[in-house]
Amino acid sequence: MKNEILRFDNVTLTYHTKRGETTAAEELTFSVKEGEFVAIIGPSGCGKTTLLSLAAGLLSPSKGTVTRHGSCGYMLQKDELFPWRTIEKNIYLPLEIKRQNTVERRARAVELAKKYGLSDFLESYPPQLSGGMRQRAALIRTLATEPDILLLDEPFSALDYQTRLNVCGDVASIIRGEQKTALLITHDISEAISLADRILVLTKRPARVAFEHELDFGGETRPIKRREMGNFGAWFEILWKELNV
Amino acid sequence: MKKEFSKEHRQYLAKKKRNLALIWVCRIGILLLLLGLWEMAASLGWADPFLTSSPSRIAVTIASLYADGSLFYHIGVTLLETIIGFVIAVAVGCAVALLLWWSETVKRVLEPYIVVLNALPKIALGPLIIIWFGTGSTAIVFMTVLVGVIVATLHMLTAFMATDENKILLLRSMGASKFQILRKLVIPSSLPAFISMLKVNVGMAWIGSIMGEYIVSRAGLGYLIVYGGQVFKLDLVMSATCILCVLAAGMYALVVLLEKLIVKDAES
Repeated sequence: MKNEILRFDNVTLTYHTKRGETTAAEELTFSVKEGEFVAIIGPSGCGKTTLLSLAAGLLSPSKGTVTRHGSCGYMLQKDELFPWRTIEKNIYLPLEIKRQNTVERRARAVELAKKYGLSDFLESYPPQLSGGMRQRAALIRTLATEPDILLLDEPFSALDYQTRLNVCGDVASIIRGEQKTALLITHDISEAISLADRILVLTKRPARVAFEHELDFGGETRPIKRREMGNFGAWFEILWKELNV
Repeated sequence: MKKEFSKEHRQYLAKKKRNLALIWVCRIGILLLLLGLWEMAASLGWADPFLTSSPSRIAVTIASLYADGSLFYHIGVTLLETIIGFVIAVAVGCAVALLLWWSETVKRVLEPYIVVLNALPKIALGPLIIIWFGTGSTAIVFMTVLVGVIVATLHMLTAFMATDENKILLLRSMGASKFQILRKLVIPSSLPAFISMLKVNVGMAWIGSIMGEYIVSRAGLGYLIVYGGQVFKLDLVMSATCILCVLAAGMYALVVLLEKLIVKDAES
């Protein structure tokens, strides 16, 4: 059995504002194992982003424990590349922050960028790139510090449909190619089915794990191929019903 | 290598160029027209040149100031006061804005004080400044700082507070400290606002220094204007005002030049 990278144990999170308190998550228990690609889907406003903040350690749970073995890389809806830095400098950003800005680390990051089609854009500034390219650069930036787990917060939702399918395929191949562990949060059922090994379905706020599924695509990891397979539709139907309970 | 453009594109570029030329011709034309009308009004007796002065009389006045060596003395005094006041106001303003950004509590504590200081007409402090700092350049520099510093602070604070929350979240997810967020994100993203603050503060600095010289001075362009007014030498008043226009425009142009140097835009 593989090691657990991330584990939530009876996690409850309540946050306070002037108007009152909101329970965003309640008694949440699940884990992500090494090399696994887990997707979490839930109705909108169920506190998905809160969950990632908990996983990243930006928030502490009110009750229960979050255990993470190793470092994490966070990828947001928008690429959030800094427009005053070149793509290359953007990719170095987490290295600078984590004080790992060594020659070897930088070389690895650039190698990764070149491997995944960014070699011509290293000297460019973000506004000169297409949305898809920018999101790809954001992924390379996330991978630069070689995190043990990737936290993906609806990373394709800001892209148009065609770009979205393409970038989704790219991201899948990069993450699988680098054998990374990933936790994806999305409201898009088909995206979750096309990417993940395992899917967790959350309830409305306060979020709890309502259902959990291992997907059976027989080792097929390419999103676009999965979409063509027979059981894709069946999974969609199951998850759609569970989401609307 | 020069790229061959299509005929339409060359026509488009030529049209743009003509347009720009036309704008400059109009700008200079308006200036010459105004100066010409002014001169005519004075020489043809439509207006009393004793009250309105005239371009030729201004030229003569400036030439005589130059001849007795006081032209550059007065310009130098005012320019120095303005620049020192400007630099101090900008530096202190940025520093205070940083402090207020850093601590939410300090910001909320100081908010009412800043609002009151911002609303207060600084000239009301004139007598105090004379008593505290005497009648020399120090008082005028202090007035200049006073006029500019609150504007600089508020402008920069707004820029710092407008930093993209998602980018802050991204840096925090990388484990960035507050200082790193400041250095890597908040300061670079506030650079355009810094430049626009400099542009506003060029104007503020001139207001401050001339106002200071009105209250108390023995030299400078503001002094010339007040003195000219008191002895009814309106040629002198107009001359000093014209020199001020040129200096203020020059200082503004320097800020624009600085903008071109430091804001390296991606599309350029």
